[in-house]
Amino acid sequence: MEDLAGYKGRALRVLSRAGASIGDVLESRTEWGTVEGTLVPRYEGGDDRHVVLKLKSGYNVGLSLATLKSVAVKAKGEKPAFLPPRQPRPRSGLQRVLVIGTGGTIASRVDYRTGAVGPAISAADLNSLIPELSDVARIEPEILLNILSENMEPSHWSSLSRRVGRGVREGYSGVVVTHGTDTLGYTAAALSFALRGVPIPVVLVGAQRSSDRPSSDATQNLIAGVSVAASAPFSGVYVAMHLCESDDSIAIHRGTRVRKNHTSRRDAFVSVDVPLAAVWRKGRLESVADGLPKRGEGVGFTPKARFDGRAALLKFHPSMDGSLIRAAQKGGVRALVIEGTGLGHVSAKVTSAVCAFVKAGGVAFMTSQCGRGMVDLNVYDTGRQLAKAGVTPLKDMLAETALVKAMWALGNTKNTREAAALMAQNIAGEMTPRRFPR
Amino acid sequence: MTALEGGKRAGALVGLEIHQQLASAHKLFCACPIAKSEELPFSFERRLRPSQSETGGMDPAAVFEFAKGMSNTYLWNPESSCLVEADEEPPHGLDDEALDIALQVAVMLHSNVVDEVHVMRKIVIDGSNTTGFQRTAVLGLGGHLEVEGKRVGVQSVTLEEDAARLVGEDRSSRRFALDRQGVPLVEVALDPVKGDPEYVASVALSLGRALRSTGRVARGLGTIRQDLNVSVMGGRVVEVKGVQKLPLLPKVVAYEVSRQLGLIAVASRLSERGFAAVECTVVDSQGVLASTGSRAIRGALEKGGKAVCIAAGGLGGLMGWEPHPGVRLGREVAEVARANGLGGIVHSDEFPKQGVSQSEEAELRRLCKASADAALVLVAGPADSVDRAVPQLIARLKAAPSGVPAETRGATESGESRYMRPRPGAQRMYPETDIPEVKVERERLAAVGRLVPERWEDAVERYRRTYRLSLDLAAKVLDSDYAETFERLARKLKLEPSLVASTLVDLPQRLAREGVPESGIGELTLERVLVAVDKGEIAKEAAPDVLRSMGRGESRSPGEAAGKLGLRSMDSASLARLIDAVMLKGAALVDQKGEGAFSPLMGEVMAEARGRADGAEVSRLLKGRLADFMAERKGSGRSVR
Ligand SMILES: [Zn+2]
Repeated sequence: MEDLAGYKGRALRVLSRAGASIGDVLESRTEWGTVEGTLVPRYEGGDDRHVVLKLKSGYNVGLSLATLKSVAVKAKGEKPAFLPPRQPRPRSGLQRVLVIGTGGTIASRVDYRTGAVGPAISAADLNSLIPELSDVARIEPEILLNILSENMEPSHWSSLSRRVGRGVREGYSGVVVTHGTDTLGYTAAALSFALRGVPIPVVLVGAQRSSDRPSSDATQNLIAGVSVAASAPFSGVYVAMHLCESDDSIAIHRGTRVRKNHTSRRDAFVSVDVPLAAVWRKGRLESVADGLPKRGEGVGFTPKARFDGRAALLKFHPSMDGSLIRAAQKGGVRALVIEGTGLGHVSAKVTSAVCAFVKAGGVAFMTSQCGRGMVDLNVYDTGRQLAKAGVTPLKDMLAETALVKAMWALGNTKNTREAAALMAQNIAGEMTPRRFPR
Repeated sequence: MTALEGGKRAGALVGLEIHQQLASAHKLFCACPIAKSEELPFSFERRLRPSQSETGGMDPAAVFEFAKGMSNTYLWNPESSCLVEADEEPPHGLDDEALDIALQVAVMLHSNVVDEVHVMRKIVIDGSNTTGFQRTAVLGLGGHLEVEGKRVGVQSVTLEEDAARLVGEDRSSRRFALDRQGVPLVEVALDPVKGDPEYVASVALSLGRALRSTGRVARGLGTIRQDLNVSVMGGRVVEVKGVQKLPLLPKVVAYEVSRQLGLIAVASRLSERGFAAVECTVVDSQGVLASTGSRAIRGALEKGGKAVCIAAGGLGGLMGWEPHPGVRLGREVAEVARANGLGGIVHSDEFPKQGVSQSEEAELRRLCKASADAALVLVAGPADSVDRAVPQLIARLKAAPSGVPAETRGATESGESRYMRPRPGAQRMYPETDIPEVKVERERLAAVGRLVPERWEDAVERYRRTYRLSLDLAAKVLDSDYAETFERLARKLKLEPSLVASTLVDLPQRLAREGVPESGIGELTLERVLVAVDKGEIAKEAAPDVLRSMGRGESRSPGEAAGKLGLRSMDSASLARLIDAVMLKGAALVDQKGEGAFSPLMGEVMAEARGRADGAEVSRLLKGRLADFMAERKGSGRSVR
C-alpha cells in the first residue's frame, strides 16, 4: 500500500483499519497516555510491531502495538514532497562545463522509506544547492544514469564515454562526472582508456558524506572538479576528492592510478606510486605534475567506447585450487587478471589451472596483491613457469585498472592475442617506468 | 516595579531544559573515553552549509549561520577523539551504558519510556558539531519531578551527544576542541513554571540533585547546563542557552523577564504614537560620514569599510529609551549587528554623544527621506559583514511593534543574555539513518527501574545521622562535586566527619574568594591535606595555610607547604615545653582567675603554636597542666619562681 510506505503485517492492518496515511496526524492512545504525532514511513528493515510518529518537536518515536490501545486520524496531512530551490541564472563569459550525473553519494539524499542513503538529488539539484558553482563556470547539468556505483556495468562506461565524446564535439571546455565512490576508480580507469586522447579535462567527482548533510564533502569536491574542468591547462581523465580531512585542499588524481583506500574518510582516494596530477587549494591549481597531456591536444579524437565484460579479477590466496578458474572458463571468461602474491606468484595447483585456461584460448595477466610495486615473473621459478605458460606481467598496473583495461582491450581487438598485446602497451599512464624511494 | 514582581504580574513562564553529562565509560557513538584534553596537537578545517529538509525547506537558524561565512577549525587529540568525532567514520551504535543511565533517569522521573528509540539529527551549523547536526533521541515522554512537595511536569527525557568545545573565535573562523563532542548528555525538558526567578532556581536545583542522586552523572563545572524558554504575557518564547552556574539562573530569568517587559513597553509606546508597522529605508552613507566625529564609524571607513544608514519610521527617541534598567531597543539592535561580526550600531538618540553632527544627521535624514519621528541607525564595518547584517537589522527594527521577537539568546557570565540567532524552525530534524532504531525491552527497563537512587532528602538525613553533619553542611556536601569523596574519606580517616566535610566544601570556597585559583585546589590536593592532618603531620589548624600554598602552586605537597610555612606539627615534648612557658608567664592570671584563666591561656598557646598544634590536644594538655598547677598552688601557698 503506497500511502503506508514501509509498514507491513500487523502494523499495516492497524493503520489501514484506522484509515491512516503517511503524513496524517495521529492520536495514539497507549497504556500510559496519549501521543500525538505525524505518521512517518517505517524503514523497510523494521518489524511489523511498531508505529513511528514524528512529534511536534520533530523527534520520531516508535510505539509498540503491544502498548497501543487505539489509533485515530486527527488530521489528514500532506505527503512530504521535495521542492528543489531555484537555479541561479548562468553568467556570461564563463566556460561551459557539462556535468553528468550518474548517482551515488554525491547525488544522494536520505530515502525516508528505507532509511538508507540513496541516489535522488539530480545534478540539477546540486547546481542550485551550490550556487558558488555558477561563479566558476557555466554549468549544464544532465542526468545520464541514476544508479548506485556498485551497480555500474561496462555498458554504463560505454554510454558515459560516448556522452563525453559528444560533449567534446559540442564544444564544452570540460566535463564533470558525479559518481558514487565505491567503483569510482574503475570508472575513472574505463574512461581513461575509452577517452584516450580526449582534448579536454574529464573529472570524476564523488563524496564520502552525502550531499544532504551540512558537512558533506560533495560541495568542495564538485567546485574543484568544475573549476579543473573549466580551466585546467591539462586534458585527460582525473578524479577530484579531498586531499586530507580539511575542506580547503582537493587532490586531483590521474584516472588510471587512483584507488579508494579507506572505507569512510574524505581523503579515501590515493594516487598509487605516482605524484598527484595537481592540488586544488582555495580556488587555485597548485603543484601541477609534469608530463600531463596538454589541453587542446588530440584534435579529431574519437572515443573507443566498447567494453567486453568477459574478464575476471582473481585474488590468489592459500588453499585456492584450480576450480574457480575452471568455472570462470566455463562461464565464458576470456581474460583473467590475477592478483598474485609478492612479485606475482600463485601456487602450483593454480599455475596448472592457469596454463589450462591459456591453452584453451584465454589470456591471463599478472598483477600483485601487495598494492604497490612492480610484478616480476623472472625472479623465482613459479614466476618463470607462469611466464612460460603465457601469463603477461603487467608491471605496476593496479589490479582494478588491469581488469578494466582487459575489458576495454577485449572490446577493441579481434582476438585475445591482440588484446594481450594492447595490454602490454602504456595507453593512459597506467604503467609508470620509474618508481622512487620514499 | 522590580523585575521579580513584574515577572509575577506579567504571567511570565519559564521552561527549563537541563543538559547533564553522563558518567559513562565511553562516548555515545564511539569507543572513545570521556576525557578533557589539555593538549590538542592535531587540527583540520571545515565549512558547513544548510541542507534541505524532507519538505525542501531550510532551517532559518542554519541559513543565518551559513551566511556568516565562518570556517571551523577542529583541534583534537587521539586520547579523546577518533574518526567518528571528525565525521570521518559512521557513528557506532548507541552506547549501552549511556542508554541505561538515561533510561534510569527517565524511570526516576516517572516518564513514559518509548518502545523504540529513534536517533534523530538536529541541524546545528554553528560549527559546534563536525557533522552539522547533533544526534539526539527521545527516550521518555511526560513524567514529573517533586519540588518543595509539589509536582512539576516533565515534558521529555532525551539522550543526546554533547557538542565540541568552543576554544576561540574571530571574525571569520571558530576553533573547537573535539574532546567534548559525543559525550552523552541527558536532556530533561520541564513544563513551564511561573517565572519567579528564585522558584525557577529551586526547580533547577531539585532536578540537578535528582540527577546526581543516580551517582552516574558527571560532576564539575560545565557538566550541567541549563537552557531556558522564557515568555511573558503578550510576548513570544525566547530561548536562552547555556547557563552553566546555578547561582546565575535567577539573575538570567530576572533579566530576561525584564528585557521582554521592556520591549513590550517600547511596542506599546510605538502603538500610542500610531505606528502599527515600522517602515525602513536604507542608504549608503560613507559619503556623508567621511569625516564624522564618530570614532567607531570613522575607524571602519578608514579601514576601507562601508557605512549604511537605516531609517526606521516611528522609532525616534525609542531606541535609547530605557523602560527597565539596561533594557533599550538600541541595545537589542546592536546585538544583532554584533552577532554578524560588527562592533555595534550608532543610533540617532545618541548622535550627539557619539560625535555625529547635526548637519550630518540632517543630510542623512534628507537622503533617507526620513521624517523627524524616524530613528536613524548607522552601521559600519567590512562591506561583506555590513551587507549581511543590514537585512537582519531591518528585520529586527520591523519586529519592534510586536514587542518580543522569538529568538535564541546566549546567557552571559554576568547573568544577562545576548542575541545569538533566530529561533530554529521545525525543519531541523531528520532521522539519523546511520543508526538503526533500538527497541527498549521491558526486561531492560525493569532492570534499570530497580536501581532506584537514594533521594536527596534521604541522603541529607543519612549524612546527619551517620556522620553527625549539620543540615547545612550535609546539603552542601551533597550539592558539591565531592559527595562520594566525602563518604570514602569519612570512613577511611579517623578525623571528625564534619572536619572532612568542611575541608572539602567550605575551605575551597573561602580560598577562592581570596583569589586562590580554583583549579589549584582539586580533589586530590584536598585529599592529601586531609590525610596529612589524619596522620598528624600537620595540625588541622594549618590546613587552610597549607592548601593556600598548594593552590597557588608554591608547594607540591602538604609536607613541603608545612615546612616552608613553619607549620609542621610540634612533637609532644615541644608542646609540653610551650605550655609550661605560657603557664609560667600567666601565673598571676591563674592566681587571680583560677579556672577562668583557661581561655586566655589557650589563646596564648594556640597563637604561639601558630597552627603547629592541634587545638583539642592543646586543650587536653592545658586543662591537665592547669589543674596540676592550681593544686600545687593550694598545697604550697607559694608563688612559683
Ligand atoms: Zn571517538
